[in-house]
Amino acid sequence: MNIVKKLKSLLGEAELYDSQGLLSDAMAKYHSALELIKNNDQLNTRQHIIDSILQKISELKSKINKIEKAPKTQELSSSIQDLIKKLFSYSADKDKDSAAFEGAITLAKFGQYKQALKEFNELIKNDRFRVVAAKNIIKCHVALASIDEAVNQYRQWLDSDIFTYDQLYKIRIFFEGILDKSAINKSLPQAKKPTDIKMPEIEEDETLDISSIAIILENGPRKGEVIELDVSFQSGNIISLIISDREKELIESLNVCEFDNIQFYSSIAMFSASGVISSISEIKTGHRKGNYNLDIKIKSA
Amino acid sequence: MANFNIKKRIIECKIVYYGPGRCGKTTNLEYIFKAYKKHVTGEMVSVDTEGDRTLFFDFLPVGLGQIKGCDVRVQLYTVPGQVQYSSTRKLVLRGVDGIVFVADSLKVRREKNMVSLKDLQKNLKEYDINIAGIPLVMQFNKRDLAGKELPLMSIEQMEKDLNRQLKVPSFPASAITGQGVGASLKQCLILTLKHLQKQFQWGQ
Repeated sequence: MNIVKKLKSLLGEAELYDSQGLLSDAMAKYHSALELIKNNDQLNTRQHIIDSILQKISELKSKINKIEKAPKTQELSSSIQDLIKKLFSYSADKDKDSAAFEGAITLAKFGQYKQALKEFNELIKNDRFRVVAAKNIIKCHVALASIDEAVNQYRQWLDSDIFTYDQLYKIRIFFEGILDKSAINKSLPQAKKPTDIKMPEIEEDETLDISSIAIILENGPRKGEVIELDVSFQSGNIISLIISDREKELIESLNVCEFDNIQFYSSIAMFSASGVISSISEIKTGHRKGNYNLDIKIKSA
Repeated sequence: MANFNIKKRIIECKIVYYGPGRCGKTTNLEYIFKAYKKHVTGEMVSVDTEGDRTLFFDFLPVGLGQIKGCDVRVQLYTVPGQVQYSSTRKLVLRGVDGIVFVADSLKVRREKNMVSLKDLQKNLKEYDINIAGIPLVMQFNKRDLAGKELPLMSIEQMEKDLNRQLKVPSFPASAITGQGVGASLKQCLILTLKHLQKQFQWGQ
């Protein structure tokens, strides 16, 4: 192709790409054009063309630079923010507070962190959303690269009586996780454990003391037979039974994982429940040596 | 996901214009806003940068009137096309009922088209939507540049690159002049409403 024609083609493409906003593609074509001219000194107005192309490249660089330096997100007008909440919140059938929470989350997702912060700070007043709003406040500050403000906010919460000790604990653990992930070395003060905090009462085990069980054998030579076994030991809902070595065939019949209908007998009540055989083992030592220990876990009544 | 208010007999559905950066998605909506004014039920909202690149989305509400006894309202959206806005594209795509994939006919954008289609497929998958199962049309935009000695892909090449497996309706278009804009949208709406009709058993 004639060099002039080729040059016109390259410059034409570059201008088109520039007008279309395809700035990198335009830049590539201008550079190709420049290369073509530099390698060819036959053109009359060579230097003028080179200067013209260099000017275009410089203008392109400014445009590209402006785009690259532009903030990745920007705080939009309140009407647009309201539209974002309306279009992307999907909370029409939710209650007012849930809709407010989802609206704040949506704003944060669209990078509207400042407005989201305002809305999460309102939600802190609502017991239902207090902790999750606090966590999102921290996330918004992190997104805005204002870790110090997040820490100050956390300190303010420590000094206030908005949050309970447990809530502050959860918030601190969450915040520390974020700091660790971001490799930020900041220590967070802990909330003072209230002195009058009551230890939870230890509830007594409510499982009945089971003395014996009855099982209908579902397979083996004694299928259909009801056998009764005495409980030798109980720990919570796990009962241990001893089966004599003379009844080894019974072990084979009990070689199923689960029984749907076991009768359990205690001194005060009788009930049916399902149970799972958690282990069958031969007793190796002691006066019961040679017998078998069967553990059953009571599942449900 | 379309809203069907049985009591008020209103159907609202969402069409998203997807494609690589600078392919003409916003120009499509601008043309529709100007050319189909009688169907437009609100202002077009563009959330963009100073350089008029879409930052978050464009939005245009359109009404189709009564169809099979229901008032059909359509929300048209565009997504930002630049690679770095993938998470925003996913947000805007949520609840989509139909898609117009706008491809750039310039040869130099060939790879961007394919990357964008893959991105669409990936984002749909995250919503458990199979790209082969959602109402979708292809628009091969910027055909007005044909015959101007500019490097443009042929329709055959674009079909091969983007539509070989999907085999969805495709339309040559020029969003700047309006060629193919109405036809793409109309076909997308037909496919979307048919899909919704099955879903809601509406009109039966």
